[in-house]
Amino acid sequence: MTTPKLSRRLAPLPALLALALPAVPAPTWAGTVHGTVRVPDAIRSGRMNQGYWRLENGNVPVRPSTRKPGTVVVLEGISGTHPPPPKTVSVEISALNASPRFVVVGPGSVVEFKNTGKITHELSIPADPTLMPIERLNAGTFRHQKFGVPGGYLVRCAEYPSVAISVIVVDSPFFAIVDDKGGFSIPGVPDTKATLKVWAGGRWAHQETVDTSGKQDLAIRVQAAKGAKEADVKDAEGKEGDDSKDPDSKGSAE
Amino acid sequence: MFLSKIWFVLVALFAGFALSIALTAPRPMAQRLEELEGQRLDRAQYATEQMLKVDAHKWIDRVAKLGRDAVLAEALDGASRGSGELAVQHRTVQSRVMALLPDLTGAGISTIVALDANGRVVARVGEDDKSFGESIGGAEIIDDALRGFLSDDVWGAGGHLLRVAAAPVLSKGRDRVVGALYVGAETGDGFSERLKKNLDVDIALLLRGKVVASTLPADVVGRLPDLIEQHRTEIESLKRTPALPIEAGNETYLAVAAPFPGQAAQQQAYYVLIGKKPARADLPSLLASTSARDLGWASFPWISLLLTIAGAIGVGLFLQRWEVDRPINRMRGELRNLIRVDGAKLDDHKYPGGFGGIAREMNAAMEHIASLGGLSGAHAVGGAAHLPSGDMPAAGSAFGAESHFAQPARGLAGPPLIPGLGAPPPPAFAPPPTLGSDGPPPLPGALPEEDEAHVREVFEQFVATKRECGEPVTGLTIEKFSQRLRDNRAALMTKHDCRTVRFSVYVKDGKASLRATPIK
Repeated sequence: MTTPKLSRRLAPLPALLALALPAVPAPTWAGTVHGTVRVPDAIRSGRMNQGYWRLENGNVPVRPSTRKPGTVVVLEGISGTHPPPPKTVSVEISALNASPRFVVVGPGSVVEFKNTGKITHELSIPADPTLMPIERLNAGTFRHQKFGVPGGYLVRCAEYPSVAISVIVVDSPFFAIVDDKGGFSIPGVPDTKATLKVWAGGRWAHQETVDTSGKQDLAIRVQAAKGAKEADVKDAEGKEGDDSKDPDSKGSAE
Repeated sequence: MFLSKIWFVLVALFAGFALSIALTAPRPMAQRLEELEGQRLDRAQYATEQMLKVDAHKWIDRVAKLGRDAVLAEALDGASRGSGELAVQHRTVQSRVMALLPDLTGAGISTIVALDANGRVVARVGEDDKSFGESIGGAEIIDDALRGFLSDDVWGAGGHLLRVAAAPVLSKGRDRVVGALYVGAETGDGFSERLKKNLDVDIALLLRGKVVASTLPADVVGRLPDLIEQHRTEIESLKRTPALPIEAGNETYLAVAAPFPGQAAQQQAYYVLIGKKPARADLPSLLASTSARDLGWASFPWISLLLTIAGAIGVGLFLQRWEVDRPINRMRGELRNLIRVDGAKLDDHKYPGGFGGIAREMNAAMEHIASLGGLSGAHAVGGAAHLPSGDMPAAGSAFGAESHFAQPARGLAGPPLIPGLGAPPPPAFAPPPTLGSDGPPPLPGALPEEDEAHVREVFEQFVATKRECGEPVTGLTIEKFSQRLRDNRAALMTKHDCRTVRFSVYVKDGKASLRATPIK
């Protein structure tokens, strides 16, 4: 008795569902944005500040640089996404080495600069001294710096400019660190149009609008900075250092 | 006068032109000199850049040669492998370097540092030679050297600039890098003085907004950091600035700044070449900068200038004499002659320009005087005022007596004014003694009775005086005499704005003459 009644009651449901479905947006399929970034020789060589000469010794092959170029690709302008949560990242400065040399964090994150060496440093952001003014960082001390606004920041030691840390604050979860061969891959990107930005050599070196629904490999060529001095002798590791693989091609470098 | 005026205009134009040149020529000249000084600084900057480049190669060669030393290679190899005592290796390396380079200062070297393959300092020679063992790996030039590169850099640490060159130290078998050496070259006052000596320009070295070395006093280079900071963008793109003016006291300098290469470029490290700007172009500055040597006979054309000035004055004086003095003298001479010649006139054709006009005016004046009737031939110019009859008084005598005009006013008070008479004319009019008439005929015109009586009285005195002097009185009638006196009286009253005119008779040169006295 009840079954026929129920059948009769449910009979209009498919029709109602059929009417209601077109009003709901169709789900977009997420894909992977991948490609290669070719940076100028000055960045690849691991020597940002060139003197007049850079010559090979003529006896022993030049070893590749152990210094990562620190190239980061970020996709911005994708709606409906959330930035990475804020966190505290530590950067250790030992002698004239900083580790890591670049970090990618969400807005509101704090970077802790620790001086574990014996040399006193004077850290600041030269391009934005109001955000991070110059301050002495004696041996064995640390300094906290909060980064609230998305953007790229180059923290540099005024006394030893080779000590430079890139802090990239992103408001999008879609970013990747370029590997030693220049390749990058950002998975889970919705099909849409987005702005692709490349941080290389301590600056936003490239920006373009990309259609993430396209399946082709992106080939990005970063131009040298205006007035930048190119090395007289190219680095032997012209292929981004084949022997130093970076397994972590996504996420922050901390 | 025409040529004089032309000459005056020409001299004025020439003087104005010369003054204009004198005021305007220094400005483009100063600009040109400034451009040349700027170009000189540009060339000096290029030469400095080449010198720094050559220096860098020299230091690289020197440190590379040092790195080929077997003792150093062995010591650094041991340090890199961790075999042996670091202190022993420190002493070994230090003594070996000092043996190879005994005079660091003479070679312009501040420091030589030997590192093992891990970037750890094994030994220092020169500055801070007691410390060793710390790592300075991470410095780009050190990393490069440990990878096998020979390169150079400029450091700016501790408020000092240091040009450094580094080279790898290879193992004895020359198959691997066992360490590195770097040499730091002095880049301070000594470097600045050497540059100044070679380039003949002053130098200032800047680091992080401060002048760290200079061949000029602080008051000159004190503003350099701010000035360079204003042109930072320009320097980043062009690797240099144009010639920038610097004011320091009364002096103005030009400065061209260029960045040091290497990591010092990130520390606002610049070398600035400074030259003195040429003097200002305004007249006081030019005069102030004039020296005695500039005014010497050898450097200043005194003779030409004096000859030109003397020539201009001579031509002007000549034209003045030719066109002014000469006609005036001639006119004066002619006037003197005219006084003695009756009826003559000035020959106005002989006089140029305005003097011809003056001669014509004078002729016209004399004709007018003659038409008024002469009172005395002796007083009329050139005799032109003589009466046609030869007996009538010339009106000119009235004007010739102008020298007596100071007295007429006093004459009204009573003292006699008429020379030769000794007393004022009698008020009554007496009939003429001889004119062939019975009684005094009535005077024509509408003279007041008093004046009519005066005219008659003067007429009688005049006739009497002429007779006394033996002059003829034939044709001399009271009507003509009265008419002339009325004309003269009217002319004199107009001229002197007086109430009336009184006439008196006197003798001059044996002839009867009349004197007119205006009464205010």
